[in-house]
Amino acid sequence: MNSLIKLELVRALRNRKFLFFSVLYPSVLFLIIAGSSGTTDTVDGTGLTVATYMMVSMASFGALTAVLMGNSERIAKEREGGWVRQLRLTTLPGRGYVLAKTASAAVVSLPSIVVVFVVAATVKDVRLDAWQWLALTGAIWAGSLVFAALGVAIGYLATGDAVRPITMITYFGLSMLGGLWMPTTTFPQWLQDIAKWLPTHAYAALGQAIEQSRAPHAQDIAVLAVSFALFAGGAAWLYRKDTLKA
Amino acid sequence: MTTTAPVVGFDQVSKAYGEVRAVDGLTLTLRPGETVALLGPNGAGKSTTLDLLLGLKQPDSGSVRLFGTTPREAIIAGRVGAMLQSGGLMDEVTVAELVKLACALHPKPYPVSDVLARAGVAQIADRKVNKLSGGQAQRVRFALATAGDSDLIVLDEPTTGMDVTTRQAFWATMREQADQGRTVLFATHYLEEADAIADRVLVLHRGRLLADGTAAEIKAKAGARRIAFDLEGTIEEGPLRGLPFLTSVDISGQTVRIQSTDADATVHALYGLGVYPRNLEVAGLGLEQAFVAITEAEEARTS
Repeated sequence: MNSLIKLELVRALRNRKFLFFSVLYPSVLFLIIAGSSGTTDTVDGTGLTVATYMMVSMASFGALTAVLMGNSERIAKEREGGWVRQLRLTTLPGRGYVLAKTASAAVVSLPSIVVVFVVAATVKDVRLDAWQWLALTGAIWAGSLVFAALGVAIGYLATGDAVRPITMITYFGLSMLGGLWMPTTTFPQWLQDIAKWLPTHAYAALGQAIEQSRAPHAQDIAVLAVSFALFAGGAAWLYRKDTLKA
Repeated sequence: MTTTAPVVGFDQVSKAYGEVRAVDGLTLTLRPGETVALLGPNGAGKSTTLDLLLGLKQPDSGSVRLFGTTPREAIIAGRVGAMLQSGGLMDEVTVAELVKLACALHPKPYPVSDVLARAGVAQIADRKVNKLSGGQAQRVRFALATAGDSDLIVLDEPTTGMDVTTRQAFWATMREQADQGRTVLFATHYLEEADAIADRVLVLHRGRLLADGTAAEIKAKAGARRIAFDLEGTIEEGPLRGLPFLTSVDISGQTVRIQSTDADATVHALYGLGVYPRNLEVAGLGLEQAFVAITEAEEARTS
Protein backbone atom coordinates (compact mmCIF):
# COMPACT_ATOMS: atom_id res chain seq x y z
CA MET A 1 0.00 0.00 0.00
CA ASN A 2 2.96 2.29 0.64
CA SER A 3 3.73 2.22 -3.05
CA LEU A 4 0.25 3.50 -3.83
CA ILE A 5 0.52 6.24 -1.18
CA LYS A 6 3.84 7.26 -2.66
CA LEU A 7 2.43 7.43 -6.16
CA GLU A 8 -0.64 9.35 -5.01
CA LEU A 9 1.72 11.82 -3.37
CA VAL A 10 3.91 12.20 -6.43
CA ARG A 11 0.80 12.94 -8.39
CA ALA A 12 -0.56 15.45 -5.88
CA LEU A 13 2.75 17.29 -5.69
CA ARG A 14 2.89 17.42 -9.48
CA ASN A 15 -0.51 19.07 -9.71
CA ARG A 16 0.36 22.77 -9.52
CA LYS A 17 -3.22 24.00 -9.49
CA PHE A 18 -4.07 21.75 -6.58
CA LEU A 19 -0.93 22.75 -4.69
CA PHE A 20 -1.67 26.41 -5.24
CA PHE A 21 -5.19 26.17 -3.92
CA SER A 22 -4.40 23.97 -0.96
CA VAL A 23 -0.96 25.27 0.06
CA LEU A 24 -0.56 28.88 -1.11
CA TYR A 25 -4.10 30.16 -1.48
CA PRO A 26 -4.96 30.00 2.25
CA SER A 27 -1.89 32.10 3.06
CA VAL A 28 -2.79 34.61 0.37
CA LEU A 29 -6.30 34.80 1.73
CA PHE A 30 -4.90 35.19 5.24
CA LEU A 31 -2.83 38.19 4.17
CA ILE A 32 -5.81 39.78 2.45
CA ILE A 33 -8.14 39.35 5.42
CA ALA A 34 -5.70 39.99 8.26
CA GLY A 35 -3.48 42.33 6.29
CA SER A 36 -5.29 45.55 7.05
CA SER A 37 -5.91 44.79 10.71
CA GLY A 38 -3.77 46.47 13.33
CA THR A 39 -1.79 44.50 15.89
CA THR A 40 -4.23 45.39 18.64
CA ASP A 41 -7.51 44.78 16.77
CA THR A 42 -9.26 41.83 18.38
CA VAL A 43 -12.10 39.59 17.38
CA ASP A 44 -15.13 40.19 19.60
CA GLY A 45 -15.45 37.88 22.55
CA THR A 46 -12.24 35.96 21.92
CA GLY A 47 -9.48 38.19 23.20
CA LEU A 48 -7.45 37.14 20.16
CA THR A 49 -6.05 39.55 17.60
CA VAL A 50 -7.56 39.35 14.12
CA ALA A 51 -4.28 37.93 12.78
CA THR A 52 -4.08 35.24 15.45
CA TYR A 53 -7.72 34.33 15.01
CA MET A 54 -7.61 34.23 11.22
CA MET A 55 -4.39 32.24 11.23
CA VAL A 56 -6.22 29.27 12.68
CA SER A 57 -9.19 29.82 10.39
CA MET A 58 -7.00 29.85 7.30
CA ALA A 59 -4.85 26.93 8.38
CA SER A 60 -8.06 24.99 8.91
CA PHE A 61 -9.32 26.19 5.57
CA GLY A 62 -6.12 25.08 3.84
CA ALA A 63 -6.28 21.65 5.44
CA LEU A 64 -9.94 21.40 4.46
CA THR A 65 -9.09 22.25 0.86
CA ALA A 66 -6.31 19.68 0.71
CA VAL A 67 -8.35 16.79 2.03
CA LEU A 68 -11.73 17.59 0.51
CA MET A 69 -11.05 18.99 -2.94
CA GLY A 70 -8.38 16.52 -3.97
CA ASN A 71 -10.14 13.33 -3.08
CA SER A 72 -13.83 13.57 -3.81
CA GLU A 73 -13.51 14.32 -7.49
CA ARG A 74 -10.62 11.91 -8.03
CA ILE A 75 -12.38 9.04 -6.32
CA ALA A 76 -15.55 9.60 -8.34
CA LYS A 77 -13.56 9.78 -11.56
CA GLU A 78 -11.43 6.75 -10.83
CA ARG A 79 -14.47 4.78 -9.79
CA GLU A 80 -16.15 5.57 -13.07
CA GLY A 81 -13.01 5.07 -15.14
CA GLY A 82 -12.48 1.62 -13.69
CA TRP A 83 -9.18 2.25 -11.94
CA VAL A 84 -10.75 1.20 -8.65
CA ARG A 85 -11.80 -2.08 -10.29
CA GLN A 86 -8.32 -2.61 -11.65
CA LEU A 87 -6.87 -2.10 -8.18
CA ARG A 88 -9.22 -4.75 -6.86
CA LEU A 89 -7.34 -7.22 -9.05
CA THR A 90 -4.16 -6.57 -7.10
CA THR A 91 -3.07 -7.63 -3.63
CA LEU A 92 -4.02 -4.19 -2.33
CA PRO A 93 -6.51 -4.69 0.51
CA GLY A 94 -10.03 -3.45 -0.20
CA ARG A 95 -9.72 -0.34 1.94
CA GLY A 96 -6.19 0.33 0.76
CA TYR A 97 -7.33 2.65 -1.97
CA VAL A 98 -9.30 4.91 0.37
CA LEU A 99 -6.56 4.81 2.97
CA ALA A 100 -3.93 5.75 0.42
CA LYS A 101 -6.06 8.66 -0.76
CA THR A 102 -6.56 9.85 2.81
CA ALA A 103 -2.91 9.43 3.70
CA SER A 104 -1.67 11.35 0.68
CA ALA A 105 -4.18 14.13 1.36
CA ALA A 106 -2.92 14.29 4.93
CA VAL A 107 0.62 14.74 3.70
CA VAL A 108 -0.43 17.66 1.48
CA SER A 109 -2.54 19.23 4.22
CA LEU A 110 0.44 19.48 6.57
CA PRO A 111 2.35 22.06 4.49
CA SER A 112 -0.83 24.03 3.92
CA ILE A 113 -1.13 24.39 7.71
CA VAL A 114 2.53 25.15 8.29
CA VAL A 115 2.76 27.71 5.49
CA VAL A 116 -0.09 29.73 6.99
CA PHE A 117 1.65 29.62 10.40
CA VAL A 118 4.95 30.76 8.94
CA VAL A 119 3.33 33.61 7.02
CA ALA A 120 1.35 34.69 10.11
CA ALA A 121 4.42 34.62 12.34
CA THR A 122 6.73 36.44 9.96
CA VAL A 123 4.40 38.92 8.29
CA LYS A 124 1.82 39.58 10.99
CA ASP A 125 4.03 38.90 14.02
CA VAL A 126 1.75 36.29 15.53
CA ARG A 127 3.44 35.03 18.68
CA LEU A 128 2.50 31.89 20.56
CA ASP A 129 4.24 29.50 22.95
CA ALA A 130 6.06 26.56 21.45
CA TRP A 131 3.51 24.09 22.86
CA GLN A 132 0.74 26.11 21.23
CA TRP A 133 2.33 25.92 17.77
CA LEU A 134 2.79 22.19 18.15
CA ALA A 135 -0.69 21.62 19.54
CA LEU A 136 -2.22 23.76 16.80
CA THR A 137 -0.44 21.84 14.08
CA GLY A 138 -1.45 18.54 15.61
CA ALA A 139 -5.07 19.50 16.25
CA ILE A 140 -5.68 21.01 12.82
CA TRP A 141 -3.91 18.18 11.13
CA ALA A 142 -5.80 15.48 13.03
CA GLY A 143 -9.08 17.37 12.67
CA SER A 144 -8.71 17.38 8.89
CA LEU A 145 -9.39 13.63 8.97
CA VAL A 146 -13.05 14.47 9.58
CA PHE A 147 -13.18 16.21 6.22
CA ALA A 148 -11.04 13.61 4.51
CA ALA A 149 -13.76 11.14 5.40
CA LEU A 150 -16.34 13.55 3.98
CA GLY A 151 -14.35 13.81 0.74
CA VAL A 152 -14.29 10.03 0.41
CA ALA A 153 -18.02 9.86 1.09
CA ILE A 154 -18.76 12.41 -1.63
CA GLY A 155 -16.46 10.55 -4.02
CA TYR A 156 -18.48 7.39 -3.51
CA LEU A 157 -21.83 9.16 -3.44
CA ALA A 158 -21.76 11.11 -6.67
CA THR A 159 -20.58 10.42 -10.17
CA GLY A 160 -19.68 12.36 -13.27
CA ASP A 161 -20.84 15.91 -13.56
CA ALA A 162 -22.51 15.95 -10.17
CA VAL A 163 -19.32 15.54 -8.14
CA ARG A 164 -17.84 18.97 -8.72
CA PRO A 165 -20.90 21.03 -7.79
CA ILE A 166 -21.59 18.86 -4.77
CA THR A 167 -17.99 19.22 -3.64
CA MET A 168 -18.01 22.97 -4.29
CA ILE A 169 -21.24 23.60 -2.43
CA THR A 170 -20.08 21.51 0.51
CA TYR A 171 -16.67 23.14 0.50
CA PHE A 172 -17.79 26.76 0.25
CA GLY A 173 -20.79 26.20 2.48
CA LEU A 174 -18.71 24.64 5.22
CA SER A 175 -15.91 27.21 4.88
CA MET A 176 -18.11 30.26 4.87
CA LEU A 177 -20.84 29.25 7.32
CA GLY A 178 -18.32 27.63 9.62
CA GLY A 179 -16.58 30.97 9.95
CA LEU A 180 -13.30 30.07 8.31
CA TRP A 181 -13.37 33.19 6.14
CA MET A 182 -14.70 35.62 8.70
CA PRO A 183 -15.51 35.24 12.39
CA THR A 184 -19.04 33.96 12.91
CA THR A 185 -19.50 36.76 15.44
CA THR A 186 -20.03 39.04 12.43
CA PHE A 187 -23.01 36.88 11.36
CA PRO A 188 -26.62 37.70 12.29
CA GLN A 189 -27.73 35.77 15.36
CA TRP A 190 -29.84 33.18 13.50
CA LEU A 191 -26.88 32.32 11.29
CA GLN A 192 -24.60 32.09 14.29
CA ASP A 193 -27.00 29.57 15.78
CA ILE A 194 -26.64 27.41 12.68
CA ALA A 195 -22.91 27.95 12.31
CA LYS A 196 -22.02 26.66 15.75
CA TRP A 197 -23.25 23.20 14.78
CA LEU A 198 -21.06 22.95 11.69
CA PRO A 199 -17.98 20.74 11.90
CA THR A 200 -15.83 23.45 10.32
CA HIS A 201 -16.81 25.85 13.10
CA ALA A 202 -15.93 23.29 15.72
CA TYR A 203 -12.72 22.57 13.83
CA ALA A 204 -11.52 26.19 13.94
CA ALA A 205 -12.79 26.60 17.50
CA LEU A 206 -10.47 23.78 18.54
CA GLY A 207 -7.49 25.76 17.28
CA GLN A 208 -8.71 28.99 18.80
CA ALA A 209 -9.09 27.28 22.18
CA ILE A 210 -5.43 26.34 21.99
CA GLU A 211 -4.53 29.95 21.19
CA GLN A 212 -6.55 31.06 24.21
CA SER A 213 -4.74 28.45 26.34
CA ARG A 214 -7.99 26.89 27.49
CA ALA A 215 -9.67 23.55 27.10
CA PRO A 216 -11.87 23.22 24.02
CA HIS A 217 -15.65 23.35 24.44
CA ALA A 218 -17.23 19.97 24.91
CA GLN A 219 -19.76 20.89 22.24
CA ASP A 220 -17.04 21.41 19.61
CA ILE A 221 -15.41 18.09 20.43
CA ALA A 222 -18.80 16.40 20.23
CA VAL A 223 -19.66 18.03 16.89
CA LEU A 224 -16.35 16.88 15.43
CA ALA A 225 -16.68 13.37 16.81
CA VAL A 226 -20.24 12.96 15.56
CA SER A 227 -19.32 14.42 12.16
CA PHE A 228 -16.41 12.04 11.85
CA ALA A 229 -18.58 9.08 12.76
CA LEU A 230 -21.22 10.17 10.23
CA PHE A 231 -18.82 10.87 7.38
CA ALA A 232 -16.64 7.81 7.94
CA GLY A 233 -19.69 5.60 8.43
CA GLY A 234 -21.30 7.03 5.31
CA ALA A 235 -18.11 6.57 3.32
CA ALA A 236 -17.79 2.97 4.49
CA TRP A 237 -21.41 2.23 3.63
CA LEU A 238 -21.18 3.82 0.19
CA TYR A 239 -17.88 2.09 -0.42
CA ARG A 240 -19.38 -1.30 0.35
CA LYS A 241 -22.38 -0.59 -1.84
CA ASP A 242 -20.10 0.41 -4.71
CA THR A 243 -17.97 -2.71 -4.31
CA LEU A 244 -21.00 -4.99 -4.54
CA LYS A 245 -22.27 -3.17 -7.61
CA ALA A 246 -19.00 -3.04 -9.50
CA MET B 1 -4.04 -29.34 -3.15
CA THR B 2 -3.54 -26.29 -5.28
CA THR B 3 -1.46 -28.30 -7.72
CA THR B 4 -4.31 -30.67 -8.45
CA ALA B 5 -7.13 -28.14 -8.35
CA PRO B 6 -8.20 -26.79 -11.73
CA VAL B 7 -7.07 -23.29 -12.63
CA VAL B 8 -10.65 -22.14 -12.93
CA GLY B 9 -13.71 -24.01 -11.76
CA PHE B 10 -17.23 -22.70 -12.33
CA ASP B 11 -19.94 -24.86 -10.84
CA GLN B 12 -23.52 -24.04 -11.81
CA VAL B 13 -22.82 -20.32 -11.60
CA SER B 14 -25.70 -17.92 -12.19
CA LYS B 15 -25.89 -14.17 -12.06
CA ALA B 16 -28.91 -12.07 -12.91
CA TYR B 17 -29.49 -8.33 -13.17
CA GLY B 18 -33.16 -7.94 -12.45
CA GLU B 19 -34.90 -10.06 -15.08
CA VAL B 20 -31.83 -10.52 -17.24
CA ARG B 21 -29.86 -13.67 -16.66
CA ALA B 22 -26.37 -12.56 -17.57
CA VAL B 23 -24.83 -15.88 -16.63
CA ASP B 24 -27.08 -18.90 -16.46
CA GLY B 25 -25.92 -22.11 -14.82
CA LEU B 26 -22.39 -21.94 -16.16
CA THR B 27 -20.15 -24.90 -15.43
CA LEU B 28 -16.63 -25.02 -16.77
CA THR B 29 -13.13 -26.05 -15.89
CA LEU B 30 -9.86 -24.60 -17.15
CA ARG B 31 -6.71 -26.65 -16.84
CA PRO B 32 -3.11 -25.45 -16.54
CA GLY B 33 -1.42 -24.34 -19.72
CA GLU B 34 -4.54 -23.87 -21.80
CA THR B 35 -5.06 -20.84 -23.99
CA VAL B 36 -8.77 -20.31 -23.97
CA ALA B 37 -10.88 -17.89 -25.97
CA LEU B 38 -14.19 -16.76 -24.59
CA LEU B 39 -16.32 -15.95 -27.55
CA GLY B 40 -19.76 -14.50 -27.77
CA PRO B 41 -21.83 -11.68 -29.21
CA ASN B 42 -22.34 -8.51 -27.19
CA GLY B 43 -24.51 -9.20 -24.19
CA ALA B 44 -23.58 -12.89 -24.18
CA GLY B 45 -22.30 -12.57 -20.63
CA LYS B 46 -18.56 -12.52 -21.35
CA SER B 47 -17.75 -9.56 -19.12
CA THR B 48 -19.99 -10.81 -16.32
CA THR B 49 -18.30 -14.20 -16.54
CA LEU B 50 -14.88 -12.59 -16.20
CA ASP B 51 -16.09 -10.37 -13.35
CA LEU B 52 -17.36 -13.45 -11.51
CA LEU B 53 -14.13 -15.27 -12.24
CA LEU B 54 -12.07 -12.43 -10.78
CA GLY B 55 -14.33 -11.97 -7.78
CA LEU B 56 -15.42 -8.49 -8.83
CA LYS B 57 -18.98 -9.77 -8.73
CA GLN B 58 -20.51 -12.41 -6.53
CA PRO B 59 -22.65 -15.12 -8.13
CA ASP B 60 -26.32 -15.40 -7.13
CA SER B 61 -25.81 -19.14 -6.96
CA GLY B 62 -23.11 -21.67 -7.69
CA SER B 63 -19.45 -21.43 -6.89
CA VAL B 64 -16.38 -19.94 -8.52
CA ARG B 65 -12.97 -21.31 -7.55
CA LEU B 66 -9.52 -20.37 -8.77
CA PHE B 67 -6.76 -22.85 -7.96
CA GLY B 68 -9.12 -24.37 -5.42
CA THR B 69 -9.56 -21.14 -3.49
CA THR B 70 -11.71 -18.04 -3.79
CA PRO B 71 -10.81 -15.56 -6.53
CA ARG B 72 -9.71 -13.02 -3.93
CA GLU B 73 -7.36 -15.49 -2.23
CA ALA B 74 -5.90 -16.46 -5.59
CA ILE B 75 -5.26 -12.80 -6.41
CA ILE B 76 -3.63 -12.18 -3.03
CA ALA B 77 -1.42 -15.22 -3.64
CA GLY B 78 -0.29 -13.55 -6.87
CA ARG B 79 -1.61 -16.31 -9.09
CA VAL B 80 -3.82 -14.12 -11.28
CA GLY B 81 -2.99 -11.23 -13.56
CA ALA B 82 -5.89 -9.54 -15.24
CA MET B 83 -6.66 -6.81 -17.67
CA LEU B 84 -10.18 -5.48 -17.76
CA GLN B 85 -11.88 -3.95 -20.73
CA SER B 86 -13.17 -1.29 -18.38
CA GLY B 87 -9.93 -1.17 -16.43
CA GLY B 88 -9.19 2.49 -15.96
CA LEU B 89 -5.72 3.77 -15.31
CA MET B 90 -4.43 6.28 -12.83
CA ASP B 91 -4.22 9.72 -14.43
CA GLU B 92 -1.28 12.08 -14.35
CA VAL B 93 1.37 9.50 -13.59
CA THR B 94 3.81 8.07 -16.10
CA VAL B 95 3.59 4.62 -17.64
CA ALA B 96 6.74 3.58 -15.76
CA GLU B 97 5.36 4.80 -12.43
CA LEU B 98 2.14 2.88 -12.93
CA VAL B 99 3.94 -0.31 -13.92
CA LYS B 100 6.23 0.12 -10.93
CA LEU B 101 3.15 0.26 -8.72
CA ALA B 102 1.78 -2.92 -10.29
CA CYS B 103 5.11 -4.66 -9.69
CA ALA B 104 5.19 -3.44 -6.10
CA LEU B 105 1.72 -4.82 -5.51
CA HIS B 106 2.54 -8.25 -6.96
CA PRO B 107 3.86 -10.93 -4.58
CA LYS B 108 6.08 -12.40 -7.32
CA PRO B 109 7.02 -9.34 -9.36
CA TYR B 110 9.21 -9.12 -12.44
CA PRO B 111 11.71 -6.27 -12.81
CA VAL B 112 9.90 -3.13 -14.01
CA SER B 113 12.12 -2.78 -17.07
CA ASP B 114 11.31 -6.34 -18.17
CA VAL B 115 7.59 -5.76 -17.82
CA LEU B 116 7.79 -2.53 -19.80
CA ALA B 117 9.83 -4.16 -22.55
CA ARG B 118 7.67 -7.24 -22.81
CA ALA B 119 4.48 -5.25 -23.10
CA GLY B 120 6.11 -3.03 -25.71
CA VAL B 121 5.72 0.16 -23.70
CA ALA B 122 9.39 0.82 -22.89
CA GLN B 123 9.52 3.61 -25.47
CA ILE B 124 6.57 5.39 -23.90
CA ALA B 125 7.62 4.72 -20.30
CA ASP B 126 7.97 8.41 -19.47
CA ARG B 127 4.71 9.44 -21.04
CA LYS B 128 1.74 10.41 -18.88
CA VAL B 129 -0.89 7.71 -18.79
CA ASN B 130 -3.70 10.08 -19.76
CA LYS B 131 -1.84 11.09 -22.94
CA LEU B 132 -1.86 7.63 -24.51
CA SER B 133 -3.70 6.38 -27.57
CA GLY B 134 -6.26 3.62 -27.14
CA GLY B 135 -3.87 0.94 -28.33
CA GLN B 136 -1.05 2.20 -26.11
CA ALA B 137 -3.35 2.25 -23.11
CA GLN B 138 -4.26 -1.37 -23.85
CA ARG B 139 -0.59 -2.28 -23.82
CA VAL B 140 -0.15 -0.55 -20.48
CA ARG B 141 -3.10 -2.54 -19.13
CA PHE B 142 -1.39 -5.66 -20.42
CA ALA B 143 1.78 -4.60 -18.63
CA LEU B 144 -0.21 -4.30 -15.39
CA ALA B 145 -1.68 -7.77 -15.93
CA THR B 146 1.78 -9.28 -16.48
CA ALA B 147 3.71 -7.43 -13.78
CA GLY B 148 4.47 -10.64 -11.95
CA ASP B 149 4.76 -14.37 -12.31
CA SER B 150 1.05 -15.21 -12.31
CA ASP B 151 -0.28 -18.62 -13.27
CA LEU B 152 -3.44 -17.33 -14.91
CA ILE B 153 -3.72 -14.33 -17.20
CA VAL B 154 -7.20 -13.00 -17.87
CA LEU B 155 -7.72 -10.51 -20.67
CA ASP B 156 -11.01 -8.91 -21.56
CA GLU B 157 -11.03 -7.91 -25.23
CA PRO B 158 -7.36 -7.00 -25.06
CA THR B 159 -6.85 -5.80 -28.63
CA THR B 160 -9.68 -3.28 -28.72
CA GLY B 161 -8.36 -0.04 -30.16
CA MET B 162 -5.21 -1.58 -31.63
CA ASP B 163 -4.39 -1.45 -35.32
CA VAL B 164 -3.56 -4.61 -37.23
CA THR B 165 0.21 -4.47 -36.75
CA THR B 166 0.11 -3.76 -33.04
CA ARG B 167 -2.53 -6.41 -32.66
CA GLN B 168 -0.27 -9.02 -34.22
CA ALA B 169 2.67 -7.95 -32.08
CA PHE B 170 0.39 -8.10 -29.07
CA TRP B 171 -0.70 -11.64 -29.76
CA ALA B 172 2.89 -12.69 -30.21
CA THR B 173 3.56 -11.32 -26.71
CA MET B 174 0.58 -13.15 -25.38
CA ARG B 175 1.61 -16.40 -26.98
CA GLU B 176 4.92 -16.07 -25.13
CA GLN B 177 2.96 -15.94 -21.90
CA ALA B 178 1.15 -19.12 -22.88
CA ASP B 179 4.36 -20.83 -23.92
CA GLN B 180 5.75 -20.30 -20.43
CA GLY B 181 3.07 -22.67 -19.23
CA ARG B 182 0.55 -20.10 -18.08
CA THR B 183 -3.13 -20.44 -18.53
CA VAL B 184 -4.43 -17.62 -20.66
CA LEU B 185 -8.11 -16.78 -20.86
CA PHE B 186 -9.23 -14.02 -23.14
CA ALA B 187 -12.56 -12.69 -24.25
CA THR B 188 -12.69 -11.41 -27.78
CA HIS B 189 -15.01 -10.50 -30.55
CA TYR B 190 -12.23 -10.89 -33.11
CA LEU B 191 -13.06 -14.41 -34.09
CA GLU B 192 -9.98 -14.91 -36.18
CA GLU B 193 -7.96 -14.30 -33.04
CA ALA B 194 -9.72 -17.08 -31.24
CA ASP B 195 -9.18 -19.26 -34.29
CA ALA B 196 -5.48 -18.47 -34.58
CA ILE B 197 -4.43 -18.35 -30.95
CA ALA B 198 -6.68 -20.33 -28.68
CA ASP B 199 -6.35 -24.03 -28.25
CA ARG B 200 -9.77 -24.07 -26.71
CA VAL B 201 -12.77 -21.97 -27.58
CA LEU B 202 -15.77 -21.38 -25.33
CA VAL B 203 -18.82 -20.02 -27.09
CA LEU B 204 -21.06 -18.12 -24.74
CA HIS B 205 -24.58 -17.11 -25.66
CA ARG B 206 -27.18 -15.63 -23.34
CA GLY B 207 -25.08 -16.57 -20.36
CA ARG B 208 -24.84 -20.21 -21.28
CA LEU B 209 -22.06 -22.28 -22.73
CA LEU B 210 -23.06 -23.18 -26.29
CA ALA B 211 -19.89 -24.86 -27.36
CA ASP B 212 -16.61 -25.86 -25.78
CA GLY B 213 -13.81 -27.34 -27.85
CA THR B 214 -10.96 -26.63 -30.20
CA ALA B 215 -11.57 -24.10 -32.95
CA ALA B 216 -11.71 -27.04 -35.37
CA GLU B 217 -14.35 -28.76 -33.28
CA ILE B 218 -16.44 -25.61 -33.07
CA LYS B 219 -16.34 -25.34 -36.81
CA ALA B 220 -17.27 -28.97 -37.14
CA LYS B 221 -20.19 -28.47 -34.82
CA ALA B 222 -21.57 -25.83 -37.13
CA GLY B 223 -21.13 -27.92 -40.26
CA ALA B 224 -17.58 -27.21 -40.87
CA ARG B 225 -17.03 -27.45 -44.61
CA ARG B 226 -18.80 -26.01 -47.55
CA ILE B 227 -19.09 -28.06 -50.72
CA ALA B 228 -20.23 -26.33 -53.88
CA PHE B 229 -20.63 -27.75 -57.39
CA ASP B 230 -22.69 -27.42 -60.56
CA LEU B 231 -24.89 -30.15 -62.01
CA GLU B 232 -26.27 -30.31 -65.54
CA GLY B 233 -29.87 -31.11 -66.41
CA THR B 234 -32.63 -31.55 -63.89
CA ILE B 235 -31.36 -31.75 -60.37
CA GLU B 236 -32.97 -34.41 -58.22
CA GLU B 237 -33.09 -33.07 -54.71
CA GLY B 238 -34.01 -36.28 -52.92
CA PRO B 239 -30.77 -38.19 -53.40
CA LEU B 240 -28.72 -35.06 -52.64
CA ARG B 241 -30.48 -34.60 -49.34
CA GLY B 242 -29.78 -38.23 -48.58
CA LEU B 243 -26.01 -37.65 -48.62
CA PRO B 244 -24.25 -38.44 -45.35
CA PHE B 245 -22.98 -35.84 -42.83
CA LEU B 246 -25.00 -32.97 -44.31
CA THR B 247 -26.04 -30.02 -42.21
CA SER B 248 -27.63 -27.94 -44.97
CA VAL B 249 -28.45 -28.06 -48.68
CA ASP B 250 -29.07 -25.08 -50.90
CA ILE B 251 -29.89 -25.45 -54.60
CA SER B 252 -30.11 -22.41 -56.81
CA GLY B 253 -30.24 -22.88 -60.56
CA GLN B 254 -27.64 -25.46 -61.50
CA THR B 255 -25.51 -24.72 -58.44
CA VAL B 256 -25.64 -26.85 -55.31
CA ARG B 257 -24.17 -25.65 -52.04
CA ILE B 258 -24.03 -27.98 -49.11
CA GLN B 259 -22.41 -27.97 -45.72
CA SER B 260 -20.98 -31.12 -44.29
CA THR B 261 -19.34 -32.18 -41.08
CA ASP B 262 -17.32 -34.77 -43.02
CA ALA B 263 -16.61 -33.41 -46.47
CA ASP B 264 -14.57 -36.44 -47.58
CA ALA B 265 -17.40 -38.87 -46.91
CA THR B 266 -19.98 -36.55 -48.45
CA VAL B 267 -18.05 -36.08 -51.69
CA HIS B 268 -17.38 -39.77 -51.90
CA ALA B 269 -21.08 -40.49 -51.57
CA LEU B 270 -21.84 -37.74 -54.08
CA TYR B 271 -19.91 -39.58 -56.78
CA GLY B 272 -21.68 -42.71 -55.70
CA LEU B 273 -24.97 -41.12 -56.83
CA GLY B 274 -23.73 -41.41 -60.40
CA VAL B 275 -23.80 -37.67 -61.04
CA TYR B 276 -20.98 -35.64 -62.57
CA PRO B 277 -20.37 -32.61 -60.39
CA ARG B 278 -18.50 -29.81 -62.15
CA ASN B 279 -16.47 -26.97 -60.65
CA LEU B 280 -16.34 -28.84 -57.35
CA GLU B 281 -15.10 -26.74 -54.46
CA VAL B 282 -14.56 -27.79 -50.90
CA ALA B 283 -13.75 -25.03 -48.47
CA GLY B 284 -13.45 -24.69 -44.73
CA LEU B 285 -15.96 -22.65 -42.83
CA GLY B 286 -14.30 -19.81 -40.94
CA LEU B 287 -14.79 -19.78 -37.22
CA GLU B 288 -16.84 -16.66 -37.68
CA GLN B 289 -19.37 -18.44 -39.86
CA ALA B 290 -19.32 -21.39 -37.52
CA PHE B 291 -19.98 -19.07 -34.63
CA VAL B 292 -22.87 -17.40 -36.41
CA ALA B 293 -24.27 -20.80 -37.33
CA ILE B 294 -24.11 -22.04 -33.76
CA THR B 295 -25.70 -18.97 -32.22
CA GLU B 296 -28.38 -18.81 -34.91
CA ALA B 297 -29.23 -22.43 -34.34
CA GLU B 298 -29.55 -21.68 -30.64
CA GLU B 299 -31.73 -18.64 -31.29
CA ALA B 300 -33.98 -20.73 -33.52
CA ARG B 301 -34.23 -23.45 -30.92
CA THR B 302 -35.18 -21.15 -28.06
CA SER B 303 -37.51 -18.73 -29.82
